[in-house]
This record gives sequence, structure tokens and C-alpha cells, in this order.
Amino acid sequence: METLAKLQILSGAARYDASCASSGCRREGNPYSTGNTSQSGICHSWSDDGRCISLLKILLSNDCIYDCAYCVNRTSNPVERASFEAREVVELTMEFYRRNYIEGLFLSSAVMKSPDQTMERMVSVVEMLRTEERFGGYIHLKIIPGSSPELVRRAGFYADRISVNIELPSQESLKRLAPQKEKHSILEPMTLIGRQIGENLVERRSSRKAPKFAPAGQSTQMIVGASPESDFQILRLSQGLYRKMNLKRVYYSAFVPVNQDNRLPVLAAPPLLREHRLYQADWLLRFYGFTAEEILSDDMPNLDESFDPKTAWALRHPEFYPVEINRADYATLLRVPGIGVTSARRIIAARRFSVITPEGLKKIGVVMKRAKYFITCSGRPFEKQGRSALLLRNRFLLGDGSGAQFGESPKQLVLPGLFI
Amino acid sequence: MNRYLYDGTAEGLLSAVARILSEEADPDQVTLAERENTFFEEGIYLATDTAAAEEFFSRLQQQAAEAVYTFYYFTMTEREGMETSMLRYLALAMQHGNKVNGYLTHTAVKEIVTVSRKAGRELHRMKGLLRFEKLRDGAYLAKMEPDNNIIHPLALHFSKRLRAEDWFIYDVRRRTAARWHRGTLSLGAIEQFTAPQMSEEEQAVQELWKTFFGTIAIPERRNPRLQKSNMPMKYWKYLTEKQGK
Ligand code: SF4
Repeated sequence: METLAKLQILSGAARYDASCASSGCRREGNPYSTGNTSQSGICHSWSDDGRCISLLKILLSNDCIYDCAYCVNRTSNPVERASFEAREVVELTMEFYRRNYIEGLFLSSAVMKSPDQTMERMVSVVEMLRTEERFGGYIHLKIIPGSSPELVRRAGFYADRISVNIELPSQESLKRLAPQKEKHSILEPMTLIGRQIGENLVERRSSRKAPKFAPAGQSTQMIVGASPESDFQILRLSQGLYRKMNLKRVYYSAFVPVNQDNRLPVLAAPPLLREHRLYQADWLLRFYGFTAEEILSDDMPNLDESFDPKTAWALRHPEFYPVEINRADYATLLRVPGIGVTSARRIIAARRFSVITPEGLKKIGVVMKRAKYFITCSGRPFEKQGRSALLLRNRFLLGDGSGAQFGESPKQLVLPGLFI
Repeated sequence: MNRYLYDGTAEGLLSAVARILSEEADPDQVTLAERENTFFEEGIYLATDTAAAEEFFSRLQQQAAEAVYTFYYFTMTEREGMETSMLRYLALAMQHGNKVNGYLTHTAVKEIVTVSRKAGRELHRMKGLLRFEKLRDGAYLAKMEPDNNIIHPLALHFSKRLRAEDWFIYDVRRRTAARWHRGTLSLGAIEQFTAPQMSEEEQAVQELWKTFFGTIAIPERRNPRLQKSNMPMKYWKYLTEKQGK
């Protein structure tokens, strides 16, 4: 098969993987080599679905021996199969990189003959890139569940980021939908990677020459909407992964129904709004000092469709407001709807020069439509404070048109739990 | 209230600012503009003093390194009529140091920082959107028409990234080019540009990239509006993946 035909099959098969981050690590190129990576990450294009393209994201093979219910490449599906030779992937990466199409490579794969045989070939791709081609660009490598610790270790010394997909948010769902993958075959490599990254950091502190192990850290991904877990369960899982396994990112991928299977929910459309809300809640966990238990609870296990999770929290906690712009600390400012990380930092910076006035707030970039209900500026409120939460809810939804806006008609979504 | 004029160069601007800040009792009361050289133009012309500009620049670097960046990006924007704001901004930078960029409630600071950020953003964008094509002789060529004059920092970026290759970047509108040849970077003007021959495999590689670009999008999630807002159409002209569609 020609490389072009393989590329068509194997990039098409990779497109449902949500992670396309190339940031978080800087590597200087060395004199006779091609490639470096940059701290903030670079998008090279945006595909027709509006997502950033920064890496050559492909599968090494889609010829799978497993049969996961939600996956196009499962062995019981009659799809066309293809596998790259290691050399082909190396050539593609180099040719694309030299033309500045990409930041690097994101390589994943179906399970060909066995996890180890597949992982072996994936590692040989990155080995060739790093040693023969002296490629210094970004590499993200997926770890096949069940591959041997030795291969995981080798992968980590060549790649910038390695990741093992959690796939589904609970063991029961995994058992039901991906019966050949076991919880421990996913968690073991994750734990190994986490430990190795930690040890490596210590090593590098004592010797700067020590080789780097996955310097951009570990991430994972789970599918949202293919199984019945609540948002609360999902967020608590993410929180645990951030805290205990030191993960850099958790990616959520709205379930896109590609198979007819009575173990799967029937959706009118992929739950994009839900995915969006989960990412927002995830930000609150990582950058806003929220805990999963503050965002959701057993009584309220799913994220509000109409409001972003921060606004929803604010509406439930009128006692927290108003926040005084000229006095509140960073963490408190962050809890104001309409004030993000950037504006909170700017407010603190601008306060060093002078008292902030309402005009000043606008210059700083605070979204006043939202924020005005929750703040005072030198003691003066913008709006009548202490409105009832119900009134505010309605106002956000209808009143001044500043309510949730997402896509054309968020209501067409059918959320999971509707199993047949 | 004095009105000062300078010659329109970055150096001239710095030397004029240096002079005003050292001689004016209240620099907040004066204005600064580019000389237009009309007969009746009013104002005091400050001739460019290279030594004074350099001296001021190095003081600025010590006082407020971030302001140097802001100034650098500002010059890339090729904006006119903002000299007075720049004067106020630099005066504040000398007074407050790096913190100045946080003084966004000040009109002049806000104006200068916003404009410079635009150039910074375009530079970052072009780092991703620039496309090289392989020429017959093995070197690579990229063409572009950015709003801001970013060729220098852009070429520096690629000199760290594509070290092993020889390449050119050509700014079609400004007729300037950067060349990386055997590990040295040079910049210059191009009088006449003749399109060179492509290498034989170029077409095939471009096809591969277009195929990848086409298949990586999720059909159920098509969103041309989002695509255009992330990647404005003015950049499509030289994008390999947007050719021949
Ligand atoms: S292991 Fe499962 S999810 Fe992965 S390619 Fe095979 S069938 Fe698909």
C-alpha cells in the first residue's frame, strides 16, 4: 500500500483522540540537528472542525486484535486496515517538520499482534527520529495498556510526553465496553511513569546531564458519554489523577457513536456541551483553586448545562459576594464570574499604581456584563447587590443576553443515561 | 505646551524621547510626532542623535527590560501617530521599571501595550503558519505577507529550529528577505523576485499534508466559523493545505 493511502486511513483513525497539546517543555536544538520545542506550544493550522493542528497525529496501525465497543478500529468492524513501517513514519515526520507543517509527532496505535510487539515498533520510530535523524521536535507517545515496563521506560526517555488512556471513567464500564483492557494494565504503566518522572526530576537536580524522562509530563484521556458515570464521578477521578499521579492534563473526548452496539447509548449528537463544561470544571480544579466537591455533589452530580461551573457556584453562594476589587486577594478575585486568571493578575498589578476605577476595570479586560453583579469598586456596587439567585439566573439566561452561549442550539443534545 | 518632531525612525524616536525626558520640566505636557516636512509645519525638530538613542536604550534595558520588548514589538507594527503615547509610556517605564506593563488603567500604557501585543500575537501565529517549500537546489523557501514587520524575530525563531537546512523567508509586501545559509542568518531587501523551481518530491509531500489536513477533521464537528476565527483568511494565501480547493 502507498504511504498516501495508509496516511488517509491512519490519520482518519486517529482523529477522535482529543489531545493535541504540544506545550509544556522547551528543548533547544543542537547545532547539526533539526528541531526544538517551545514553551507555549505552537498551532500550525486549524482543521475544518476548528481544532488546532500542531502534531502529526496518526496511528501506527489500525489493525486491532481487541474489540472495544466504542472504537472504529475494533476487530469486529469491517474497516480497511493499514500499518506503517517505522521508517515511513520517520520520513513523514521529518518532511512535514522541515516544511513547518507541524511541531512534532503524536503516535498512537491499535494493538497489532500483542501490546509488546506494538509498543516495540512505536518505540523504534522515536528511537530512529531521535538518534538517526537527530530530531529535536516534540514527540507524544501513547503507551499501549499491558506493555512491559522496560518498553515504557525506553519510550519515556525519547518522548516529551507519554500517556496512557484511562478510556472510561470506571472499572465496570471498562469491563463492559473494553473487555480486553484491564484496569491494572492501565494503572500500572501510569504509576510507573509517575514514579519515573519523579525520580528523574531528583536525578536531574543533582546532575544536569542526566537524560530527561518525559519532560512534558504525563496525560490521559477519557471518553465522555459512552458510559453512565456522572460528571461528579468523572471530576473526582480527574482530581485524584492530578493530586496523586501528578498528571499534567486530563483530556475529555465527547463520545462519537461510530458503531452499532447495544452496549452503547444512542445519541442524537456527540455530547459536546458536556465535554465543554467538563473542560471548564477541569480548569477550575487546576487553576482556580476549586475542589471537585465544591463544584458538584451527590445531590447535584452533573454540571449545569446553562451556566459555566464558576457562575453556577457563584449563584449557589451569594454569601461570598460582593468582592471588593481594590482589596480582595488573588484567590478571591478568581471566584468572580467574568474575572479570569489574566484579569485577576492584571488587577493585582494595576493596584500597585492607583486605586482601580470602573473605567480601569474595563481597560483591564474584565467581562463587566458578568462581573458587575458580584463586585464593588471602592465600596461602590455596580448593580443592586443581594439579588436573589433566581433573579440572577433568569437575568443571565434571558435578561441582558449574557447567558450561556454555545453553538446554535445546545438543547438538541441527548445526554447519557438513556441506555436501551 | 511644546510640540516636538522627529524623523520617523525608531532611533530618532528614542533619541527624541531621551531629549524630552532630560530637558522638559513636565514631559506630560508635550507632544511628539513624526515630521512631515511641509512648509508650514509647526514644532521643534529634534535631530536624531544615535549616541543618545543608544544610551537611553541601555538605560531602559536596565530599568525595565520588559518595556524594551514592548518597544521592539511596537516598532514592528509600523503604526503612526502614537509617538506621544510612547513618550508617556517610556517616561513611566523609567519611573516604575518592569511594573509599567501592569499599569493598564493608564490610557497611554494601555494603548501601547495593546498595539505591541498585536504584533507579538502575529509573530507567534506566523511561527506556526509559515510554510516552506523545497527548492530544486535543496534549500527551502517560505513566502508571507504579515501585517506587522516581523521578519527578523521570525527568522531568529527558525534559525533555532531548522538549523540543519538552508532556507529563505520572503516578505512579499515589504520585499525583504531573511536567509539562513550554512548556519548564518542574513537579512536584506529583494529588488526583484523570480519564483525558483520546486524540487521533484515537493508536490508529493504537499499532497500528503493536504490528505492529512483533510482527514484529521472530525466530520460530525465541522465548524468553519471557528476555523476562520482561529486562522483568519488573510493567511490562507500561502498555506499549502488551503491551495487548490
Ligand atoms: S484497543 Fe480498543 S480502542 Fe484501541 S484500537 Fe483496539 S479496539 Fe480500538
